[in-house]
Amino acid sequence: MAVTKTTQKNQDLARLLTAASCALIGSLSASVNAADNWDVDSAFLLYSESDGRVSAAEPVISATKNYDEETKLNIKLAADTLTGASPNGATPSDQVQTFTSPSGKGSYAATAGEQPLDDTFKDTRIALSSNWSAPIDRDWAYGVGGYLSKEHDYQSLGLNGNLSRYLNQKNTTLTLGVNLSSDSINPEGGVATGLVQVPLSSSDSEFTQRTDSENKSLVDAVFGVTQVINRKTIMQFNYALSTSSGYLTDAYKIISVIDDSAGSNYGGNYQSSGRNLYLYEKRPDSRLKQSLYWQTKYQFDNNDILDVSYRYMFDDWGVNSHTIDAKYRFRFDNQYLEPQLRWYTQSKADFYHRYLNSSDYSSAEFASADYRLGDLDTYTIGLKYGYQFADETEFYTRFSLYHQESSGDKGYGKLATQELYPGLDAAMLIVGYKF
Amino acid sequence: MTFIEELIIDSSFNLSKHPNPSLWREGKHTYQIKFECMASNCSILIECEALELVKTAAKNAIIEAWRIEYKYSRYQKKNTFSDIHSTPDCWQKLDNESAQLMIFANQAYNASQGLFDITSGILREAWTFNGNDKLPLQNQIDALLPYVGWKKLAWSTEAPEQLKMPLGMELDFGGIGKEYAVDKVLTICCQTLASKSAAILVNCGGDLTCSGVRLNGESWKVGIESISRHNKAQQIIALSSGALATSGDSKRFLLKDGIRYSHVLNPITGWPITDAPRSITVAAPTCINAGIIATLALLQGKHAESFLASIKTPYWLYN
Repeated sequence: MAVTKTTQKNQDLARLLTAASCALIGSLSASVNAADNWDVDSAFLLYSESDGRVSAAEPVISATKNYDEETKLNIKLAADTLTGASPNGATPSDQVQTFTSPSGKGSYAATAGEQPLDDTFKDTRIALSSNWSAPIDRDWAYGVGGYLSKEHDYQSLGLNGNLSRYLNQKNTTLTLGVNLSSDSINPEGGVATGLVQVPLSSSDSEFTQRTDSENKSLVDAVFGVTQVINRKTIMQFNYALSTSSGYLTDAYKIISVIDDSAGSNYGGNYQSSGRNLYLYEKRPDSRLKQSLYWQTKYQFDNNDILDVSYRYMFDDWGVNSHTIDAKYRFRFDNQYLEPQLRWYTQSKADFYHRYLNSSDYSSAEFASADYRLGDLDTYTIGLKYGYQFADETEFYTRFSLYHQESSGDKGYGKLATQELYPGLDAAMLIVGYKF
Repeated sequence: MTFIEELIIDSSFNLSKHPNPSLWREGKHTYQIKFECMASNCSILIECEALELVKTAAKNAIIEAWRIEYKYSRYQKKNTFSDIHSTPDCWQKLDNESAQLMIFANQAYNASQGLFDITSGILREAWTFNGNDKLPLQNQIDALLPYVGWKKLAWSTEAPEQLKMPLGMELDFGGIGKEYAVDKVLTICCQTLASKSAAILVNCGGDLTCSGVRLNGESWKVGIESISRHNKAQQIIALSSGALATSGDSKRFLLKDGIRYSHVLNPITGWPITDAPRSITVAAPTCINAGIIATLALLQGKHAESFLASIKTPYWLYN
């Protein structure tokens, strides 16, 4: 009887304690972060080239809604304004040079020894892109996206999709991505005829015969493998193929013709129709680019991260390039500091010429003096700083300096005294906040 | 098991300066998050497809565990524990969480007829349980006993947030804090993963709780550590809901003249419980519930087993 009584008492006690513990645990509801918020990254970018050349200001806002681990929607809006002067492709000269502006409605000049810069250049661009990515099942995932950008003389419309396959407990990811883009170009004054003399004014027949716009289309495909090597190392290999076709010429770029006949004007601007001969540039109407890319990220025991990548690109225009990029992220409690070094080197396109010669310019099939198609090296040194707040928002800023050096044929006669390959320095500042 | 990454937790949530938790993959959608808390190796096992959400759940939960640890740690200079003890003999206002813990401690005190008493922590000034053979002198114990006794606190269930602490007395939330933290960790994981199908097991140094069965419908298999062979499971328990807690002196005890003194002290005599089982594991709906029953059983000394049998709760006992 006494035993039964004790049992009853102890069972009551157990019930009491159960009730008490449930009251304790249930009494406090913890504040828990909701998972499906919008993550917003807002940034402002300033870019400025030396010597009053191009400067740009670009606000960017990117918002991502995470539905779960793999399902997300991203929307990005960017607007940029470019102002300043850009090289028109002509060589400097010991004479004053006068150029017709791209619309044919005005002119600008370069003094003796000065690099000819087109300062009528001013542009505003708005770009909107959206991407959706989601899993198909445990082993497959896909993404689709669209892109639209508009500036006064250029429109671009793009569609992209990708498919990923996870293998080896997601330690290996294979990705196939395709991007299609259709662009239309409406240069001021119409589409110039390649390798034709730049006319004096918009009343010239070359202007009156021009069409308003041209198109180009791009198809890019990329095949990638991402491999987790070990708990500290991840590696990525990509092979990318890119074809573009249509109007690939820069309608605003011209090329000087230099007098190579012996005499006092040897190496000076060649005259035609009583004035300097400048031709509109002309590029082939198709381009096939291929690239190989390797990237490794390594996390050190102290959480610092080293990120090194290398890209080799080659195309059927004869351009090939190497890019080496290294970043090292020093991690502190809630801050990081990330220095960056990048080196890019490029060999020139087959049809790149700093100038054409008077004796054979008429036989040229394609020609461009755009420095971006010449032999060049660029160096970037940058430093990024980030601060992560307790509420998981982040402020970051990045400052980088960019230096470009071009090289090539030094010219002859009077031209040899001109600076044909001026370098370029630029500074870039990004300030951003993620919330 | 494959290491995936460290979960970076902002230092403002890590006042005790623990290493960051680490995330491991055990199976395709099974993750283990290891972390340190309350001098124990802790882990959260989560079966769920949504890895990002798993990380969020684990981070939130670990932040909570570390918060509780810091709040009631007696080793910190500026926390709730130190605040409570900095104004003796005055009325002070407890926050809601501390008041709730006081209510629970009061229930346990009454249920154990005074054997479970969170004011008895101060007796550790006389006792050192590291396996040595040094017994304190009776006058050392007698000097401390005036500062032990739940009823000496000016506190009542009518106004649980009002407290007056007599000078020299100390509240020790250590006896319930870990189990409480384990339950809170599970609660937060469940809340964060509410929109997903997920199965969760939380384990802090043998005090553990689960959200229910695993995703494949099987129970969690939990080993109870052998008291004789370290790190060797003595018995495998199938846990399909609720919690387990273990109380015992397998690591914290004092041995003198062949008598093994448990680290669990009788607050009335100031002396350790003797003849208690070496280890008691109890299953109950929550970890704090299992923990208090295991401790109460241990306080019964040689009557522990009959006590456990009488309350009809699953238990595992080793002598």
